[in-house]
Amino acid sequence: MALYFGDLLPFSSLFLEGLWTAVYITLIAMLAGSAIGVLLYLGKAGARRALRLLCTGYIEVIRNTPLLVQLYLIYFALPAVGINLGPVWAAAIGLTLNNAAYTAEIYRAGFESVPYGLREAGKALGMKPAQIVRYIVILPATRNVFPALTNQLILLFLASSIGSIISLPELTNATMTVSNTTYRTIEALTVGGLLYLAVSAVLALASKRAETTLFRWAVSGHV
Amino acid sequence: MIFVNDLHKKFGPNHVLKGVNCHIREQEVVCVIGPSGSGKSTFLRCMNGLESITSGSIVINKHTLNDSKTNINLVRQEVGMVFQHFNLFPHLRVIDNVMLAPLRVSRISKEEAHAKAETLLAKVGLAQKMDAYPGNLSGGQMQRVAIARALAMDPKIMLFDEPTSALDPEIVGEVLTVMKDLASEGMTMVVVTHEMGFAREVADRVIFMDQGLIVEEGSPEQIFASPQHERTQGFLSKVL
Repeated sequence: MALYFGDLLPFSSLFLEGLWTAVYITLIAMLAGSAIGVLLYLGKAGARRALRLLCTGYIEVIRNTPLLVQLYLIYFALPAVGINLGPVWAAAIGLTLNNAAYTAEIYRAGFESVPYGLREAGKALGMKPAQIVRYIVILPATRNVFPALTNQLILLFLASSIGSIISLPELTNATMTVSNTTYRTIEALTVGGLLYLAVSAVLALASKRAETTLFRWAVSGHV
Repeated sequence: MIFVNDLHKKFGPNHVLKGVNCHIREQEVVCVIGPSGSGKSTFLRCMNGLESITSGSIVINKHTLNDSKTNINLVRQEVGMVFQHFNLFPHLRVIDNVMLAPLRVSRISKEEAHAKAETLLAKVGLAQKMDAYPGNLSGGQMQRVAIARALAMDPKIMLFDEPTSALDPEIVGEVLTVMKDLASEGMTMVVVTHEMGFAREVADRVIFMDQGLIVEEGSPEQIFASPQHERTQGFLSKVL
């Protein structure tokens, strides 16, 4: 079987549009999801029992059900209660809600990774709890989970491919369209896969770079 | 200066302090010795509210620690603490470790905090390490920074929780020297330690604790040369 990529050339802009859609849906879901994740973590770690149960419940439900099912529910089940979301909104909301649960757990791991002695040192100096979090805990916590957070970004980007099943015109969707039109299935999948790989590799390298510049103080391992 | 009256501390069913009484005077250097598990660290940690008190009372400079009207953060500003594992803030340079509390708690100006931190770091012999991060220091250097950090709040009392136990033997001396200087300047100090040499040389009074109680206390000469209590004798025969 001879591979021939020439047939794909007329579809290069479709690939790039798909890639761009995947990228911006990922960015929206990462930014919004990280913000909601903070609230979820605060609720889960907070003093109010009802809120704690609610946030814990949310996180566990999301993390223990497939993203595919979550997207189906948002896209196909919500219209039954009168909420009609287009593919872009459905995918953006679905990935955001999903990502929020995972980032909340990453924040928890981060805060728990900071040795309790650092908080005690802050207390012993007469600092208030909010000051201890702001000036003492946040940076080491962020540093300890920075790789997990950037990894989550890459996972999210790859998970955006699931948007194709609710007809979001992202990269996998574009790839399938090209494949169905040209019958060059292997070639189309190869190009689509390489585009995912390229973006993921750039993200991975950039995070590594960011880690070394942002956390220059961390000379070895965990703090 | 510090009055401890019938102090009890329980961790769940574990009765760690079983009625500790003691009075620490201004400018006194008190070393607390005893086997591990005797409650000496817990006793020290109760003195700045890092552990809550189950019953009894601690009064420091007229602040009653377990009184709900007492602002514990004000007491802590008068009581500096140095930990076994230093607990330096890893993301802050040495100078910023020392400046943090003066800036955020005492709210003095940046210039003033900087000048003060510089003076204190010079005092502990680390002026040249101002811009280093804690991760690049040796254990002895880290502990000296931790002492400077505690001193930056101008405490009236300094608590030391086994300050040299995590250090290699050859660098214990540099930390003890700083502590000796501090003692000779008239700082009130309570030191939980296994350094019997330091206790003998620097302490005004040595307290021997075992099983949650002060078993015996007295001048270093008394405690080390002629301990009265059987348990003190047993402990000292093992460590000396």
